[in-house]
Amino acid sequence: MRWASDRLAQVGEFVVPLSHAPGDEWRTQASVFEEIYFIFLALGTAVGIVVIGYMLYNGWKYSASKGTTELDDPPVLGELPRGEGGGKKLFLSFGISAVIVITLIVWSYSALIYAEQGPEEFEDNMVVEVEGYTFGWDFIYENGETSTNTLVVPEDHVVTLEVTSRDVWHTFGVTELRIKADSIPGQTATTWFIADEQGIYLAECFELCGAGHSFMEADVIVVSEETFEEMYDEFTETGSFPDPPDDLEER
Amino acid sequence: MSEHGLPPKSSIKRWLVTTNHKDIGILYILTSLFFLIFGGTLALLIRLQLWTSGEFILSGSAFGQAVTAHGLVMVFFFLSPFAFGFANYIVPLQIGADDLAFPRLNALSYWLYLFAGLLFLISFFQGGSLEAGWTMYAPLNLPTYMPNPGASTVVGALLMFVASVTVSTINFVVTIHQMKADGLSLWNLPMFTWSILLTVWMMLIAFAALGAALLILGADHVLDTVYFTEVEGGSLLWAHLFWFFGHPEVYIVFFPALGVMLETFQTFTGRRLIGRKWVILAMILVTLQSFLVWMHHMFLTTINLEIKTLMMAMTIGISLPFDLIVFAMIYTLIKGRIRWTTPFLFNFGALVLFIIGGITGVFLGAIVLDYEFRGTYWVVAHFHYVMVAGGTALFGGLYYWWPKITGKMYDEYLGKMHFGAYFVGFNLLYFAMFMSWEMPRRVFTYHTGFEAYNQMATIGGFILGASFLIMFYNFYQSWYRGPVADGNPWEYSRTAEWATDSPPPLENWEGIPNYEKGFLEFVDRPEGLTDGGHGEDHHDRHPDHASIWPLTISLTTFIGLAGLMLWGEHIVYNTLFIVGLFATLVAAVGFAREDFYAPMPDWGARWPFEGIHKNKFGMWIFLASDIVIFGAFIGAYIFIRWGYGWEAWQTIPPEALPGLVNTFVLLTSSFTVILALVYAQRGNQKGLVASLIATFGLATLFLVIKSWEWNYLLPEAETLPEATIALFTFDWDPLIGTEGPALDASIQHSTYYVTTGLHAIHILIGMIALGYLAIRAYHGAYLDDEQPVENVGLYWHFVDIAWVFLFPLFYIL
Ligand code: HEM
Ligand SMILES: [Cu+2]
Ligand SMILES: [Cu+2]
Repeated sequence: MRWASDRLAQVGEFVVPLSHAPGDEWRTQASVFEEIYFIFLALGTAVGIVVIGYMLYNGWKYSASKGTTELDDPPVLGELPRGEGGGKKLFLSFGISAVIVITLIVWSYSALIYAEQGPEEFEDNMVVEVEGYTFGWDFIYENGETSTNTLVVPEDHVVTLEVTSRDVWHTFGVTELRIKADSIPGQTATTWFIADEQGIYLAECFELCGAGHSFMEADVIVVSEETFEEMYDEFTETGSFPDPPDDLEER
Repeated sequence: MSEHGLPPKSSIKRWLVTTNHKDIGILYILTSLFFLIFGGTLALLIRLQLWTSGEFILSGSAFGQAVTAHGLVMVFFFLSPFAFGFANYIVPLQIGADDLAFPRLNALSYWLYLFAGLLFLISFFQGGSLEAGWTMYAPLNLPTYMPNPGASTVVGALLMFVASVTVSTINFVVTIHQMKADGLSLWNLPMFTWSILLTVWMMLIAFAALGAALLILGADHVLDTVYFTEVEGGSLLWAHLFWFFGHPEVYIVFFPALGVMLETFQTFTGRRLIGRKWVILAMILVTLQSFLVWMHHMFLTTINLEIKTLMMAMTIGISLPFDLIVFAMIYTLIKGRIRWTTPFLFNFGALVLFIIGGITGVFLGAIVLDYEFRGTYWVVAHFHYVMVAGGTALFGGLYYWWPKITGKMYDEYLGKMHFGAYFVGFNLLYFAMFMSWEMPRRVFTYHTGFEAYNQMATIGGFILGASFLIMFYNFYQSWYRGPVADGNPWEYSRTAEWATDSPPPLENWEGIPNYEKGFLEFVDRPEGLTDGGHGEDHHDRHPDHASIWPLTISLTTFIGLAGLMLWGEHIVYNTLFIVGLFATLVAAVGFAREDFYAPMPDWGARWPFEGIHKNKFGMWIFLASDIVIFGAFIGAYIFIRWGYGWEAWQTIPPEALPGLVNTFVLLTSSFTVILALVYAQRGNQKGLVASLIATFGLATLFLVIKSWEWNYLLPEAETLPEATIALFTFDWDPLIGTEGPALDASIQHSTYYVTTGLHAIHILIGMIALGYLAIRAYHGAYLDDEQPVENVGLYWHFVDIAWVFLFPLFYIL
């Protein structure tokens, strides 16, 4: 319930800022996803209940065991197939469902544009190359250093990931941050995120890549701006990140 | 009762030689149920493994194999063949035919399917099977990354399955278009037959694309070519080829089930389908659109936003016709007299499940959501709700047609129990997967927190599995002790399969089914059947129903493929391949020589394919699928070359001249093959034999020039004879040495040799057919029936035209 009321509140804000003129308040991919998911879930459940309920109702109402209906023109064996009337009703319900589906998808499309482009004009947008391999992740920072299975980023910053693979097809994804991109040899897929809460997030592989697929995980460590600066300096010097502060929460 | 050379049903031999559509239908159904049990056992293993979040019974590799085999077995070896068991049994009955157009080819499809399945099973005993998922993404599907030898065998098994599907497709297209009873136009086809007709048209194109993808994959496995390891696009090439097949495949498995739903909804409500013509149009629309949405499976790859948007729009577009179909079924309930029998329960249930599957599919159509759902249990739950909804309808179909097939009634009470357990188990199992959607799919351990959902799913899975024990028990009881069912046990059934005995006699009808007066009548059979005035004179001859060759060809192909896919691994495999290859040739000749009489009716509604002989029609359909295969090879070449840089690409043949000469050689041979036909029509035997030999000679010349060219390009073979011998004895060593250019030297080499090699194999097959014709013609054949000459000629023209496309692409541009 908490979850639902939170979502509802978000939808309230959402109706307006969907157009997201860049420069407005930035929104994380996660919040965009949550809202759209919520709307789809709510409408989908409603439609499902109505349609299936209607089926069950008719199944009950016209059940032969009740013996209430008599067929006025029952089909006979060997007749040439023909349809029964009722086209109007058919098209009406078809029309309604089409409107719902199209509206939903078109409406979600504006969010797609946002998700695709990302907040481009954001200052000092940080770019990290992500290279998948069997079975782990290399993160190559702008300083040229590589960190294996640990991605450290500052809080409230736009981070752009350029994802590729060294061997087979993987998919890089962080469920809590709602980001995902295919990691394909020879290709570079791009995604971005803003982590607005500090903590340790889990990155996983979402495409079967061999016997170690289930273990192909990395930590995404989100720390405050200052901590990040410190950690990054040490990373530049030594080639590996120091341990993050102990009080980070697992997410 | 005389069964025209067919042993009685109690004899095992009958089931090995039968070509009767009802027997084959039963074989399909039984075999597919066997694979259901196999795939289901794998599924339960997976579910057991996922009972706890830690490691349990399967290793990572075993789990990968189990998931892969489960997916492939369920989709290819259970769901489709199960549906085609019904298609085999019911479609000829619904259209008023005696059998399919090509009964022997029908038997061939079945045996190819069975042996393909066996080949798949063998892969587990060869040191590990494929573990790349049913989508077999590249380059994980290659030995470099997944060295299990059995993986190559799986590729061979799937190729064999594609062959089975292609043969079956040709058969059904010709049958449904040309063997309908008089007065039964396309428009009037019962819905199940409509669904099968549209399914086979989709299969024709989709499976050809899969065939091409598998041929290329097979080359990468066996010949070490480098298509899918090519970094500039190899992975994406596979994804495009696979999903171009894969999306239509979703409808291919679902449409037959839809057909069953549309039939049973009418029968058990006592109502005719609401908006029938719109439903048919919607299905035709889906058939066409199914080839235009494949990239919605690739939203997370690097394809650009414009294409994604287009694919998204197409995806909404294809979901709408389904809305209409669903509503049509729901409205058909209204004012009906609904009898809640087992078949109807299953089909009603299937519609409920399909609605849930459809709604959750709309989520995936919204790209922003798809980004998150891709690769998670959301997808797994969604496609099971859709595909296994199809399975649900088909189980309903099994109850529906059980009395027709066996002549016995099953027990309703047990049937309803089966449904109850099935439906509860199903929803526990797959709904739990929706709830654990944040879990990546294809993992064998997961993070705690998903445990409750996974256990719920596992329990559901076992309930679902156990429900089948009730079904098998019910059918077992019914078979031995069930009450006898008469010809039409269901009130308000309409379609013709109910207008004959249960089970129907060997040739289905006493008289000839006829709808010209607007309803089904049986008219007298004319004295002596002829085959539609196609020039054969077989009065008084009775149709044949038995042949040993389909089984033989499938067995020999099985042996050959088992050897080929692991060529070079062990001397045993090399021997198997050579033995299998020659045995297959012998069996093919045996098949061709057998005097098998399967007449076409003289009558029937055939629009728009009236004037065309079934063999020629079949050849055209085959060529259509071959066009898709060559198209896919050429497309693959262009795609790879584009990714590489069109201009930077070096064409392999250093000179175009040999290719140009070869072009003329082939064009001339097209001319001589026409001459052969003309001579056959004129009854000129000498001319016929001479032109066939000339065509054969030109084909040989083509191959000689080709092998000279290959030799010239492949310095390991020193001389032309050496290269030729190497080529024909399949001793590739002198050709593919360790040094110098070879098939695996570069992507340019791979594409060149594989594509022209595919063409050369077509030439070789053509030569075998030409040689066969020439020998037969020498003994006096074809003078009063030039059909075979014409059909081989068609094939030959096609092979020539294919070269006309390959030549500029590989030599000049
Ligand atoms: C008509 C029946 C079925 C069909 C057509 C079918 C199809 C598939 C396919 C295509 C896959 C994907 C394999 C892959 O990821 O490569 C799959 C996965 C799976 N199926 Fe089924 N299936 C069927 C029945 C069942 C049943 C009865 C169960 C459970 C008892 C089940 C449980 C699963 C599970 C657990 C997975 C693995 C999901 C994952 O790890 O990604 N399926 N199925
Ligand atoms: Cu992976
Ligand atoms: Cu699709």
